[in-house]
Amino acid sequence: MQIVIWIREKRVFCDMAELSLTLDSTAMRDFAADTEPKQTPARSSEDGMHARTPDPDSDESLLIAVGNDQCTDAFNTLFNRFANKVFAHGMKITRNEQLSKDLVQEAMLTVWQKAPLYDLDRGTAQSWIFTLTRNRCFDMLRKQKRQPSCVSADDIWPSEEDEVDAREQQDSEFIGTELAQIDKFIKQLPLAQQAVVEQIYILDRTHEEAAVALDIPLGTLKSRLRLAMGKLRHLIGTE
Amino acid sequence: MNTEVNFHPSTELLQKFATGSLSGGMNVAISAHVELCKFCRQQTSEFEAKAAIDWLQMPTESDESDFSDLVAGIIKQPQIDSIGSNGSALNEIHMLDHSVRLPKVLAKAAAEGLVWKQLGGGINQAELSLDDETQCEFIYMKPGSQTPVHKHQGSEITLVLDGSFSDELGHYNPSDFIARSGSDVHQPRSEEGCLCFAVLDKPLTFTKGIARLLNPINNYRFRRSLARRAG
Repeated sequence: MQIVIWIREKRVFCDMAELSLTLDSTAMRDFAADTEPKQTPARSSEDGMHARTPDPDSDESLLIAVGNDQCTDAFNTLFNRFANKVFAHGMKITRNEQLSKDLVQEAMLTVWQKAPLYDLDRGTAQSWIFTLTRNRCFDMLRKQKRQPSCVSADDIWPSEEDEVDAREQQDSEFIGTELAQIDKFIKQLPLAQQAVVEQIYILDRTHEEAAVALDIPLGTLKSRLRLAMGKLRHLIGTE
Repeated sequence: MNTEVNFHPSTELLQKFATGSLSGGMNVAISAHVELCKFCRQQTSEFEAKAAIDWLQMPTESDESDFSDLVAGIIKQPQIDSIGSNGSALNEIHMLDHSVRLPKVLAKAAAEGLVWKQLGGGINQAELSLDDETQCEFIYMKPGSQTPVHKHQGSEITLVLDGSFSDELGHYNPSDFIARSGSDVHQPRSEEGCLCFAVLDKPLTFTKGIARLLNPINNYRFRRSLARRAG
């Protein structure tokens, strides 16, 4: 969550740098300050939802007990509830008793092994177990038909965690190259202007603080900043 | 992510995708679209939840099968705490002047490398072997290329990955998922060039009795239609 927000802020920074480099940096800080606290209550209310897991006999509670404490009693109960259903799914898809029995073994083993990865964000225990069953069934059938094995069920139906990782990675790669680009442009500015940009946009200082740090009058700082932004806009626009 | 997706898999296809009753090639095409399309991602998880409910309501024959002897073996196995990364497979296709980032499932499918064949008319094709029922391939149409008019024998799914193409029925951009049935006649063309992933139905193959005599004929027709399609 944090990272996404951080990226968004950065992205906002980048976009604004492109669109209107004259935007006051304090406004950016206000924007940042504005977004952060809003996240905290949202998160805690989500956590509050997690705390509400009332029925210790629900599939979800049992699955969490299997995941957190390797609770074999809980697993036994889940096994008794689901094994026949898994078998029935196998029969429906494969019409083969032995394969369907193998599916019970494979799918319930996966439930045991992946239980630590389950949490309520992933939906009900039932739909989680269903998707594991579906995936194992797909892989088994493919193996049985001796089909090419380069793509597995877990590639076709990636868990959400994987997907988010991939997207975040993509985003940060994108931001990375964009920032590197901007850095390259900044290096083309006269040194005095670079120093001002660094104070305001990288060290995140106010105009007043920056003027003090650089030991220049406030008016000089502002005009250098304006010149730097004009030059940057020109550089970004032309490349 | 930033372009609007106008063409999506049908509800029926997404439902079948969620229940796992499609062929490998079709699953891969839909999976790739779902990775690119937030709307279909949400739809898919809703369909998965519905499929789970249907699954639990499905009557089980009886409790005659007792699997409880499996439990002892299962709980001896170690559990998994974190999802290992799938490793970085090939995830980009390099075109003449730029490279295209592939959806993960296609990157995996293409991990062993692609062999491009020139089919004439500015069309290039790289086949992937994903299952027995479909022919899967990447198609690259060079800028300004146009395929001859053709008609499909079976159905054809096309997922646009980069660039765009048009036919009589529309203009298609990245992430668009286009389904064509056997009765559609069309002539795709691409001004700016286009990279797609396509899944075609294979002709029926008979496995029993005298009907097997039809297989060579069907396969011949299939290959001929591909060749025509390619020009």
